[in-house]
Parts: sequence; C-alpha cells; structure tokens
Amino acid sequence: MALAARAARVWGSRRGWRQHPRWQQEQHFSSLDDKPQFPGASAEFVDKLEFIQPNVISGIPIYRVMDRQGQIINPSEDPHLPQEKVLKFYKSMTLLNTMDRILYESQRQGRISFYMTNYGEEGTHVGSAAALDNTDLVFGQYREAGTTAFREQKQMGGPGRFQPGSRLTSECKEGSNTRTEENQCVLMYRDYPLEQFMAQCYGNVNDPGKGRQMPVHYGCKERHFVTISSPLATQIPQAVGAAYAAKRANANRIVICYFGEGAASEGDAHAGFNFAATLECPIIFFCRNNGYAISTPTSEQYRGDGIAARGPGYGILSIRVDGNDVFAVYNATKEARRRAVAENQPFLIEAMTYRIGHHSTSDDSSAYRSVDEVNYWDKQDHPISRLRHYMQSRGWWDDEQEKAWRKQSRKKVMEAFEEAERKLKPNPSLLFSDVYQEMPAQLRKQQESLTRHLQTYGEHYPLDHFEK
Amino acid sequence: MAAEAAAAGRLWLSACRAGGHWRRLCSAGLLRGFLQPASAVGDAARRRQLAHFTFQPDPEHQDYGQTQKMNLFQAVTSALDNSLAKDPTAVIFGEDVAFGGVFRCTVGLRDKYGKDRVFNTPLCEQGIVGFGIGIAVTGATAIAEIQFADYIFPAFDQIVNEAAKYRYRSGDLFNCGSLTIRSPWGCVGHGALYHSQSPEAFFAHCPGIKVVVPRSPFQAKGLLLSCIEDKNPCIFFEPKILYRAAVEQVPVEPYNIPLSQAEIIQEGSDVTLVAWGTQVHVIREVASMAQEKLGVSCEVIDLRTILPWDVDTVCKSVIKTGRLLISHEAPLTGGFASEISSTVQEECFLNLEAPISRVCGYDTPFPHIFEPFYIPDKWKCYDALRKMINY
Repeated sequence: MALAARAARVWGSRRGWRQHPRWQQEQHFSSLDDKPQFPGASAEFVDKLEFIQPNVISGIPIYRVMDRQGQIINPSEDPHLPQEKVLKFYKSMTLLNTMDRILYESQRQGRISFYMTNYGEEGTHVGSAAALDNTDLVFGQYREAGTTAFREQKQMGGPGRFQPGSRLTSECKEGSNTRTEENQCVLMYRDYPLEQFMAQCYGNVNDPGKGRQMPVHYGCKERHFVTISSPLATQIPQAVGAAYAAKRANANRIVICYFGEGAASEGDAHAGFNFAATLECPIIFFCRNNGYAISTPTSEQYRGDGIAARGPGYGILSIRVDGNDVFAVYNATKEARRRAVAENQPFLIEAMTYRIGHHSTSDDSSAYRSVDEVNYWDKQDHPISRLRHYMQSRGWWDDEQEKAWRKQSRKKVMEAFEEAERKLKPNPSLLFSDVYQEMPAQLRKQQESLTRHLQTYGEHYPLDHFEK
Repeated sequence: MAAEAAAAGRLWLSACRAGGHWRRLCSAGLLRGFLQPASAVGDAARRRQLAHFTFQPDPEHQDYGQTQKMNLFQAVTSALDNSLAKDPTAVIFGEDVAFGGVFRCTVGLRDKYGKDRVFNTPLCEQGIVGFGIGIAVTGATAIAEIQFADYIFPAFDQIVNEAAKYRYRSGDLFNCGSLTIRSPWGCVGHGALYHSQSPEAFFAHCPGIKVVVPRSPFQAKGLLLSCIEDKNPCIFFEPKILYRAAVEQVPVEPYNIPLSQAEIIQEGSDVTLVAWGTQVHVIREVASMAQEKLGVSCEVIDLRTILPWDVDTVCKSVIKTGRLLISHEAPLTGGFASEISSTVQEECFLNLEAPISRVCGYDTPFPHIFEPFYIPDKWKCYDALRKMINY
C-alpha cells in the first residue's frame, strides 16, 4: 500500500496508480478482458498490418454559403443579417481595399518605407471580426487589418474586463478620438480611424506605437487588438495563454488568433494547438490559407490536407471554409465562438482564400506565379464582388451608390493620408522609453549621451522632421 | 556540509531525467548480489568528488517577522505560496509542476490553490513561455517553470523577440510585465552538458527583460517575490546545487529584496571579488584564504541581478580597491564577466592597479567526468587573485 501511495505521488492523479506500468504486470486481468490498457491511447487492438493513408485527394470539404456569383446556395445557411450590417461588411472591405491601394502607391513613391496589402482576403477579416464580441481579444499576424472596423468606440471600457484593473481596458477613454486606433480590416471592422492606420505607417507623432515598428504593425488597446510583431506564429501560444486567463476570469470572452498557412508550419503553432486542447482554452484559431508564403506555394509548405486536418490530431474541432465567402466565414466564426465560450475548448477554422497582391512592397510575385492565376481570383472569385452581387440582388446596392462610395472612400483615405504625411515624427527621446516600465540608470546615461551628441552633430540628423 | 551537498546532488538528479533507471534496477534487487560497498574497493580517488564550495548562511534576518528553517527549494515554495495567496490571478505552470516538480519547488501548491492555478503543460518550452506571455498580456500573473536552464533555448525567440520587446514595440499599449520564468541553473556535480548550464549571458544581451540569480534561500525568496511583482518580464535562475545544500532561517511572511542592487557581503580594501549564485560561496572562501595566506583584504560582492546590473556598487568598490576579479561557471568568452570588465575599465581605468581578472568555465560545453577540472574553483580564483596582487 505504501508502494502504491508512492507510485501515486510519482505518477500523479491524472493517471491514477492502477495504470502504473509496474502495477499492470502484477494485477490479475480476467482472461476474457483482452482490451488494451495503455494510458496513452483509447483504442481497440487490430491484427492486420495496415498504415493509415492520409487523405489529400479528397480533403476536408469547404463550407460555403454563397456561390461565386454571390447567390445563396442553401437558404437555411443564410445568416439573414440586416441590411445595415451587410453594408458595414461591404464598406469595411472596400475602404480597406482603397486604403491598401493608396498606401501601396505611397510606398512605391518613397513616402512610407514598407506596406502589406490585404487584396483578396478582406472576406476573412470582416466575416470573422463581425462574428466576435467587441471585447474579444485579437492576436493577428500582419494581414488582418480589416478586423478592427466593427468595434464601436462606445463599447470600449465596458463591462466584463478580463481582470479587475486589467491593463487591457483600464485606460479606455469613451468617445476619445485622439490616439485611438482603427486598424486594418479586423481593425477596420472595429472602426479604427484611418488617421491611426496612417499614423502607424508614417510613424508620426500620432502613432500610438510611438514610431517603433515598421508599417502595418498595428495595435489598439481599446479595440482589443494586440500589437502585431514580425516573427511569425509567435502570437499563437500567446493567444492560448490569454484565452486561459479569460477562462479563469469567467470573462465570457474568447480569443481569436489569426495566422497564415505558412506560419502554421512553425513550432509555435504546434505548441499553441496542443496547449489549447490540453488546457481547454476558449480560443478560435483562424488560419488564412491564401496559397502562398511569400513565394512558397502550399505544395512546398505541407503534404497533408492543409491546416484543418491537423486540428483533429490535437483533439480540436475543426472546419474548412470558403474564405472569400464572407457569410461562410461569419457563420463558422459565430458558431465557433458560441461553443468555445460555452464549452471552454478551442476551434480551428481554415479559411481558404487567395493572396491577390504581392507578399509586401518588397516582393514582386510575377517572379513565381502567373498573371493569369492572379487575374482569375481578382475577377472570378473575390470576396468584395461576391458580396456586392448579393447586395445588388436584394436591391441594397447599385452602380450609382458604388460610384459615390468609391469617390467618398477615396476622399476619406486621401485626407487622412495627407494629414498623416504632414505630421512630425515623435521626439527622438522616445527611442529610449518603454524598454522597461521604468528607465534603468544605464539607459538614461545612453539617452543623455545621444542628447549631447546631437548638440554637436545635430546637423547630420533629420531633426527637422521630428518633434522637439 | 559539502558531503551532504554531494549526496543531495546525487539524489535529485537520479529522481529526474538522468537516473530513473537506477532506482528501478535497485528495487528489482539485481544489484545487491554483486555490488560491493565503495569502501571495500579501497581507492579514494574513485569515490565521487565532494562539492567545490561550502554554503555559508547569512546571519538570521530580524526585520521580517517569524522565520523558519528552509532550504532553497522550500524558500522558493514559500515565495510561490505567498504569491498565490495574495494575487488571485497568479498561476504556476510548466512540466511536472503539478505533483511538486522535479526539484520539489511546487510541492503542496496544487492541493492548496487548485488545479486551475498550478498545472502541468505539455513538454514544450516555447509553448510554456509563449503561453505565459499571453496570460501576462491580460494582466494576470504568470509564473512559468523551465525544468532546466539548459532547455530554455527553444523559448529563446519568445523571450527575446516577444517578451522583452512587448512594451517597447507597442508603445506601452501592451506588456507582459507580470511574467516570471523560473529555472534551475548551474553546475550540480554530475549534470554534464545539459543539466549544468548557466545561460545568463545570452539573456544579458537582451534589453527588456530582467535576469536574477540568488545565492541562498533567504535571497531566493525575497528576489523571487520581487521578480513576480516587478512590472517587467523576469528570468529567475535557481542554483540547483543549492536546493538542498543551502539551509538557513527564512521569513515565513513575504518580503522583497530589490532588483538591480548588488550586495556587498563582506567589506574589504585590497581586491573586489564579484560573483553570483553558487559562485558567491566560492569567492567568499577565497576571500578567507586571501586574508589568511596573503594578508589581503577582499570586498566580496554578490551581483544578484545580472540585467540591469548595479554598475555603481561595483565601480565604487573598484575605485576603492583598485583590483577586480569576476568569476562565473559559464564559459569565459562572451560570459557576463566580459560585460562587467568592459564597463569597469571604462569607468575606473585610472583606479585600476592590475588588469581585471576573469575566472570562468573554459570555452567548452560543460563536461561530465571532467567537471572538477572545468569549474572555476577556489584554487583557480585564489591563484588569479595572487597574480593580481603581485602584478
């Protein structure tokens, strides 16, 4: 008995001492009871040697609601969203598209240093963002700008914060326009102001990120969009931790974590999936499978059936959806959210889509794919045109409104753009702050040495563009 | 004391990764038949080496209330207990922490605070740290354990590229300041390449995190509590050879020892000796040897926080003594002694009477059977000190 108790301490309560391998040898099993006893798997024996064939010819099917022409296929799957909401979907996607065109051009003209467009993937951002609560935490990769459009300012600082005094919401200012961030499509959906997108891209005094990161590395505390970082997939286990904390806080919130099919190859993705499942976290893993990781096509990224097929390997409920169908994305995300928070378990959504634009302004994708391929997606299967057909068939939109909106959105973007360009950059002393919460003595010395250096050599530095 | 330390070292490593098979063989009775006791063999040289240091407890601290005799792992448990008691958001996680941990640092905590607060994670260091960052981003307190500092490297990206830069890159919109990573550290007598490393130098090069190494149970509890409460992500390295070997009176209630403050544990006038963790006890002994054999008075400094480090205390001491010896187990090249040496020669050049001496591990991986030759023991430190005095 003492030995059993010691074994129990060693092996832990989750297994129970009766399943300790040493104990199995000494236990008396009924000869009729020939079932496997291994703690590691719940399965039957088989006496035929056969390898399981991975199914990649006919993979996990792709859920969709609309066909490529924007017609509802199965009316019972139509979410029957009100006109106002569908219009918001459309305007978020198109405003993002307009902003992308202008900012891409501005990089080509040397006005900002770098940019990444979202062409073709707007449906994944808006459909998913619209299905979340405004206070659900978003961890993105870098191509989710559309997700912040839907988050209304007036819901900032509302009830149900993660923790009492949580840093996430403690500094929310209701109705405040200064320094609020309206980030790209996920952010666009949460009403992140254009000025804030631009401020970050220009790294000007209004950038809440204080000019520290390359363009498109947005973040917004009020809209619960965690600041983007360049390393891929690092956000995945972090999102899981945040979801665990949300569960503990009984916050009735989930976390959504976006990443591409390329990032899903990183070890961090494997870590995140496994932790989410074993620790029972209310999280949605949203994979944008857009066919390319810079120049690497999916055939060189994985050999299995995409990312959705990996979910069951971790014990995660998974689905594959047509990412260019904003209603399919919406329905899947909505249901996943409902169940994630009710059942405290993760969900994996693989949204199939296509990256119409280049990876970034540092890429020319004609080097590795044909113009015909790109044109097909741009012309024949685009989330914006599919939604437009849907709206037009209901009489909610027409060519005149389209023309007027294009003009209006372009004007809005240009105004914000020119405004952002005129602004100064932040004071160079902001190079040194926020490394720690408090500035260490050695760093203060370094800051002072730069100040002295600029006093003598300032003419060689672009001080005129920076706030004094 | 030293024999105890060596015996203790043998016992725990066999309890975890390295020696599980030994216990099974013993209990199967296979070895009793043909193994003879070591003394019967008769050759003292074949007996395992005694520890290279003698732990010296500090005098009992009166200012913090009732104290209890604790070893280093019990002091860690006490700090964790205090933290979970006063901070309802605090959680502890990592490999094998649920049953108490391979070094018993988390014994009893799961029963006391619940399985949602003290729990095992899958075997994945990058996941452990990434997960911990995520908890901290929401404002909850995350105390992650990495089972051995030797295995912290899969988490290097999450620590250096993410945790350290979270506040800076977001313009202070987000941070993971409530993350603390604890990990057993340093030589243990037989740990070899992968159970002996002291990786503090890798992290010292990373602005945005704090790196702390205690020398004793009392220091460990106070420093760990400070790390947990600090608003920046911290790495707390626990010298594993001291887990059982170091015993002293430790306050039961919580208390803090400030970070980024070195401690002068013995004042002196001729040479400044700087170390951290286990090595502090080595240089303390060297200071006694120097006094006894050479009549040299040493000022002994425990650095305690590696990053950000207390430049002022070390420089003030060197200005007084004119000589500096820094010692650590980690390899010489690029070790943290290089940083101290470089800064001190910048700040105190004209005060130096001799080149700064670094007594460190060799530039090799940490060997197994050669450990007694590898480590910067008191004889090497004494010899370097003697050369400095005679320079």
